[in-house]
Amino acid sequence: MVNHLLPETLEEALEALARKQHLLFAGGTDLMVQKRAWAGLPRNFEHPVLFTSRIAKLNFIEKRSDHLAVGATCSLEMMLEYPDTPDLFKTIIGEMASPGIRNHATLAGNIANASPAGDTLVGLYLYDATIVLKSLRGERLVPIADFITGVRKIDLAQDEMITEIRIPHQDFTHIDYVKVGPRKADAISKIAFAGAAKTNDLTVSDIRAAFGAVFKTVLRSPATEAMLKGMRIADIKADLASICEAYARLLQPIDDQRSNKEYRKAVAINLLARFIKSL
Amino acid sequence: MSETISQSLMRLDAPDKIAGRAKYVADLKMKDCLFALTVRSPIAKGKILQVSLPAMPEGYQVVDHRDIPGENIVKIIYDDQVIFPVDEVKYIGQPILLVVGPDKRIVERLAKAIKIEFREEQPVFAWENSVIRYQFTKGEGDAPFASAANTISYTYTTGYQEQAYMEPQGFIGHYDRGKIVLVGSIQCPYYVKNALIRALACDPDKVRVIQAAVGGAFGGKEEYPSLIACELAVAINKIKKPIKLIFEREEDMLVTTKRHPAQIKLAAAIGADGAIRALRAHVGIDAGADIGLSGVVLSRAMIAATGAYTIDNLAVSGDVYLTNTVPTGAFRGFGAPQMLFAIEMFIEHIAKDLGRDPLAYRLDYLAKQHDKTSTSGVFRDPILMPEMVEKAMAMSGYAAKSERYPREAGYRGIGMSFFLHGCGFTGSGEAKTIKAKVKLEKDSEDLVHILIAAVDMGQGVHTAMRKLVASIMEIPIETVIYDYPDTDQVPDSGPTVASRTMMIVGGLVARAARALKESFIPGQHQVAEEQYVQPDYIKWDEDTMQGDAYPAYSWGVTVVEVAVDPHTYQVNLEHAWSVYDCGKAIDELMVLGQADGGLAQGIAYGCLEVMEHDQGKIRQKNLTDYIIPTASDVPAMTTMLIDNPYPLGPYGAKGVGELTLVGGAPAVAKAIEMAINKRITKIPATPEAIMELIKHG
Ligand SMILES: Cc1cc2nc3c(=O)[nH]c(=O)nc-3n(C[C@H](O)[C@H](O)[C@H](O)COP(=O)(O)OP(=O)(O)OC[C@H]3O[C@@H](n4cnc5c(N)ncnc54)[C@H](O)[C@@H]3O)c2cc1C
Repeated sequence: MVNHLLPETLEEALEALARKQHLLFAGGTDLMVQKRAWAGLPRNFEHPVLFTSRIAKLNFIEKRSDHLAVGATCSLEMMLEYPDTPDLFKTIIGEMASPGIRNHATLAGNIANASPAGDTLVGLYLYDATIVLKSLRGERLVPIADFITGVRKIDLAQDEMITEIRIPHQDFTHIDYVKVGPRKADAISKIAFAGAAKTNDLTVSDIRAAFGAVFKTVLRSPATEAMLKGMRIADIKADLASICEAYARLLQPIDDQRSNKEYRKAVAINLLARFIKSL
Repeated sequence: MSETISQSLMRLDAPDKIAGRAKYVADLKMKDCLFALTVRSPIAKGKILQVSLPAMPEGYQVVDHRDIPGENIVKIIYDDQVIFPVDEVKYIGQPILLVVGPDKRIVERLAKAIKIEFREEQPVFAWENSVIRYQFTKGEGDAPFASAANTISYTYTTGYQEQAYMEPQGFIGHYDRGKIVLVGSIQCPYYVKNALIRALACDPDKVRVIQAAVGGAFGGKEEYPSLIACELAVAINKIKKPIKLIFEREEDMLVTTKRHPAQIKLAAAIGADGAIRALRAHVGIDAGADIGLSGVVLSRAMIAATGAYTIDNLAVSGDVYLTNTVPTGAFRGFGAPQMLFAIEMFIEHIAKDLGRDPLAYRLDYLAKQHDKTSTSGVFRDPILMPEMVEKAMAMSGYAAKSERYPREAGYRGIGMSFFLHGCGFTGSGEAKTIKAKVKLEKDSEDLVHILIAAVDMGQGVHTAMRKLVASIMEIPIETVIYDYPDTDQVPDSGPTVASRTMMIVGGLVARAARALKESFIPGQHQVAEEQYVQPDYIKWDEDTMQGDAYPAYSWGVTVVEVAVDPHTYQVNLEHAWSVYDCGKAIDELMVLGQADGGLAQGIAYGCLEVMEHDQGKIRQKNLTDYIIPTASDVPAMTTMLIDNPYPLGPYGAKGVGELTLVGGAPAVAKAIEMAINKRITKIPATPEAIMELIKHG
């Protein structure tokens, strides 16, 4: 007999996780599809399911002094409606899935699913978000780029769960985001690009670029970004071709039933170039 | 009441569908029902050497070719499709046997445990094995090529298209005192019934086929259901219990019929004055592993070779190729969408190559009343295309935009397609093969029952037929009854296909309604029957493909405007405008519904819907990967209907269901072509393809 759990408190959930392996289930918009079975049969869950949706303490979104905190069961639609959600995330979420899905789907689920095409990930990488993990053993704060270790691979122990996501406040002067999906709703990104910069007068004090769906995880290049920091905007623009080349060397897009690698690479670089030209 | 026939009623099926009360086949339940799961070929071609079954628990069985009491043939047109293979498989996903039992978990486990040993053979994917070849000529054929000043040729390519109907294919059936009864998601109850009679070698009264609520078919439920109905009937005949066979979406997309991929080679002999002296066309279509309806699809494509134009000298040929891929089949438009894309692009490309104004050049060739059709029949009825083109241009601002966009080179484009669709079956199909019969029966309470085999699959036929009868008989629509067709109750009025239902079946129903009205005796049981008779001026020679291929034609003009993103090459559909002549709308809102849906499907065929196979395996197997448009993708549409009553249609109605699809792809392709200033010869024109064109021409 499988025992599915519907805990109301975080403690109950963590105790259950400490006892034995569970499948964490938030909105289920990934899991219900991934674990599908012949109609009429139960889903193919390999482990007892722990539904997080009733844990009231995790259903929050809150602006704190240096970051926005998003609870693990906060729906994407709630995040979209929250006044202090950064515009970038409002844009990303507004183009994700469709309203019905967004009412169930969570940020935590999008992160833990760790798809290279997960749409919020591009924003979270760009903002250097931190994932808060809890277990009976305590709490860990892990940067998003360390938490996601590969295609569908995350740094999560069996007794841990994501409790919140922290998105640091940023004061970018430029922000750009493009989702290239095969259609306008309910679409898996073929490419996603997010760019941000902070400029004052003629120089760039911060510049970041994140690419989705063209590498095994979201791709940022700390080395290139470090090199560009402090440069004059005009010099960056003059250097456009070599910057694009540097990124082109890093991208490793694939051919699949949705697109091909030539297109993915070329468009990713077009979007980067357009962003740089817009500074 | 004829002035108001077009006035829209609320769809009579709408409340049940919206409230979730309508019963689709998966909703139907029977006591002690068993479930069937299909075991399929994992290889594209080979011999079956051995089938090893696991130990079968009590109550679980397999059903295969040895259980077929009659012929191992799915009756369609050619006897080349088997129900279950004996010892060879021809495509990935071909059904080999069914596993049947009460518990789905066990059925699934048993199906996985079945081991089939094959000897693989080299599959054929190239188009080289022609099994049907047709040709016809008009006028001097291609003789003028010899003396032409110039020859222009292009090759056009179109891909698969998936019907993507709402609910996957399926049937539930049971054994009722010596009779096999099937209820299914179908378009053609009698196709299924006739196939069953042959597979079971039984008397016609030993099988009964009933339609369940159908949420869309688009041709996908024309001939394909006959295959699974035969499988299921064989199983019921063996086991004598209720059995349900319903596909999952992925199974459905991998193995059911799709639109034929086509390659169309066109050449024009151009005179010194730049006029088209003759046209040569070759149409190749990929049938997949079975011929199925491919011959009929090919002939409709070939007959559409000159689209909405008149060209005096023609040589048209075509081939149906067999390959070791999933069989292709009926799909809204039936060969015409492929050909209309090709010819619409071709005339435009000729004009561009000659440095002529494409629009003026095309208008010169538009077909006129009394012109000869491609098969040397006659366009007998008035053709209102010049007026329709004018209206479409005025609505869309075509003239100014088509002048401005190329000059501005701002990645915007506008495209206009001209098209027609032959209504009803091609050639002598109605008179020789279908011979439609309809029946109206008035009971002693004066309720009038419409007894026809036409199915409502979301297009609104249920409402339209009741409205037609009520309006002719001048009785309340509530007193007109039209239940889901049941072959035990209704005569064979033919399949629900080919845009024939309102024009042909509705025409007969209208006649019967008039007869019933004239002889009306209150409280008395009365019957009126009608049978199709071909108008005698219509002549068609099957062998030479000469004469009137269709009794009537519907016409259309579609304009699509796009903006192409220069960084992502994505196409934004800005707006679409259409003008249609479908004779007379029996219900305006319903025709507009067909117009919106048909155009969305047609435009998506042109720029969105990619389906391909890799070594015989379909790569896009669900709606995540197969991109049909969502409501956010479909552009705003402005539609105008022009009255041009057809004398033999009820109230003048002609076909409408397919017409609205066939012009979509060329209109959007032309718009993209203008936006990127390259020649488009292949659809779908995806962002990937557009990038390729921009970079490498
Ligand atoms: C029609 C449709 C359209 C979609 N469109 C998009 C789109 O445009 N862009 C996009 O990126 N995605 C899309 N998705 C995917 C999906 O909706 C998102 O990934 C969503 O954010 C997942 O959230 P969820 O709460 O539903 O996750 P769930 O399905 O509940 O879980 C997903 C994963 O997260 C894990 N998980 C959940 N909660 C926790 C936790 N607290 N701690 C640790 N692990 C946890 C689960 O175990 C599972 O592995 C779409 C899905 C559908 C069905």
